[in-house]
Amino acid sequence: MDILFSPQLLAAALITGVLYALISLGLNLIYGTMRLLNVAHGDLVMIGSYIAFMAFSLFNVGPLISMFGAAIICGGLGWLAYRSVFQNLLSNSEILARLEENSLLLFFGISVVVQNLVILFFTADRQGYEYLSAIVEIGDVRLTGARLAVLIVGSVVSIAAVLYLRFSLFGLAINALIQNRDASAIVGINVDRVQMFSLVIGFGITGLAGALISVLEPITPVMGFPYTMSAFVVIILGGLGNLWGGFLAGLLLGFLEIYGVAVTGPEWRSVLVYGIFIGILIFRPQGLLGRGRVAR
Amino acid sequence: MSQALLQVTDLSAAYGQVFALRDFSCRVEEGNITALVGSNGAGKTTFLRSLSGLLPPRQGRVDFDGGDITHQPSDQRVEAGLVMVPEGRLIFPTFTVEQNLKIGAISKRARDDLAEGLERSYALFPKLEQRRHQPGGTLSGGEQQMLAVARGLMARPRLLMLDEPTLGLAPLIAEAIFEMMVQLKETGLTLLIVEQDVNRTLQIADYAYVLENGAGVMAGEAQDILADPKVRESYLGI
Ligand SMILES: Nc1ncnc2c1ncn2[C@@H]1O[C@H](COP(=O)(O)OP(=O)(O)OP(=O)(O)O)[C@@H](O)[C@H]1O
Ligand SMILES: [Mg+2]
Repeated sequence: MDILFSPQLLAAALITGVLYALISLGLNLIYGTMRLLNVAHGDLVMIGSYIAFMAFSLFNVGPLISMFGAAIICGGLGWLAYRSVFQNLLSNSEILARLEENSLLLFFGISVVVQNLVILFFTADRQGYEYLSAIVEIGDVRLTGARLAVLIVGSVVSIAAVLYLRFSLFGLAINALIQNRDASAIVGINVDRVQMFSLVIGFGITGLAGALISVLEPITPVMGFPYTMSAFVVIILGGLGNLWGGFLAGLLLGFLEIYGVAVTGPEWRSVLVYGIFIGILIFRPQGLLGRGRVAR
Repeated sequence: MSQALLQVTDLSAAYGQVFALRDFSCRVEEGNITALVGSNGAGKTTFLRSLSGLLPPRQGRVDFDGGDITHQPSDQRVEAGLVMVPEGRLIFPTFTVEQNLKIGAISKRARDDLAEGLERSYALFPKLEQRRHQPGGTLSGGEQQMLAVARGLMARPRLLMLDEPTLGLAPLIAEAIFEMMVQLKETGLTLLIVEQDVNRTLQIADYAYVLENGAGVMAGEAQDILADPKVRESYLGI
């Protein structure tokens, strides 16, 4: 039982939690502002990982640099998706009413296509690279330089994002759109612009998280799926569209998962995560920290 | 005829195949209170929703301040000073009173005026100042209505459109809202009011339109409309 009190485990939980917070913030922004169920969300993590992997193996550029490239490329994909598909769909009130269900199928299709494209180009083999693998010691904590870097960068980016969304005027507009679309339009919010930025930021920070994750685990075309699931667990745990609640829930799920696995064993990870998912849906559908689902 | 602040020409709007507004025309003169009355389902809200850009019109034309805004998105209308206080208030329930007011000043024309706007809101509705840090969703109906009006004013409107501002309010509070509308007119604001209290509305209005089944059936000086026997029978039960 000593292991439960080890600083190692605490660091592991923080790393996982911060990454979950970041990834699910992206999902929550997209769901909250547009009611799009992005079940391809984890594939952005995968794309971010491959970008970091390519940057390292082709140009010898580390993930702390290439994460910006991953953010920009994934953000660009968000922009492209908005301009080519969602802008039109969202501006038609009749399509809008059915978009939530249909978006699930749409993104599912996108996910399959993207994964297969990646298999075509990179094969289905696991990839990986060595980066800052030397052990760093801080007090009692021993962890690789790469993990320490992920912890620091992940914390800084997620805290900055949450503070921006909470205190800036643009963040207020995003939160307004999450609560009520018509009300946002009539107070003068440029709904179109807020939607586009939400998709760009949501995709971008998820791609950035993917670049960080590339140093933690093997890179494969299907690595994204567990992150999709975790992100959905997190935003349901935190209350759909509740950005602050989702951030806290991301940390919480990281802790539940890491400590849960430490007590039971790695083979229980899925049972734990999906068990929490199902439990929340049954007993507290509005989320642990949720304020109930907001009206459109 | 002089140029009206708002000029609506043969406007039609529909939900799917069902037309809720047909070839409706009206004008709102600067500095006036213009009233739009009609029974439930007449199309009043539909009309205001198409004026604010929430419901794209099927036909017709809307000119505001001399410019064609028929197909402009909502935010540009607010930017131009055409602002709606909607039916059902639509305040942001998780935002505090102050955040609700702040978001009301998001348009460029109002943003620099934020601090002054807050002061004006609290002077007009001292209740809101007491509740400034309370979530909007926890306010009473009357307070929510005050908040919705104050939020609309934060945008520095030139024309404020109010949809059923006294619906569901206690008589005393409803009367306070009517008095506030008169007060706003005295400050030079132009108002377009949709109200179910036809009698009281026509008393404070300058000009009025009557809408029935999506079509305009009567227009005139508010006093004349109020004195009209048909109106008295249909809408005032006299
Ligand atoms: N979202 C909608 N979808 C379909 N029909 C609608 C919708 N909203 C309103 N209608 C219909 O359009 C017509 C006009 O409705 P509207 O809300 O404009 O009336 P109103 O004059 O504001 O009535 P009230 O006094 O009840 O507010 C009604 O027949 C109504 O049933
Ligand atoms: Mg109505």
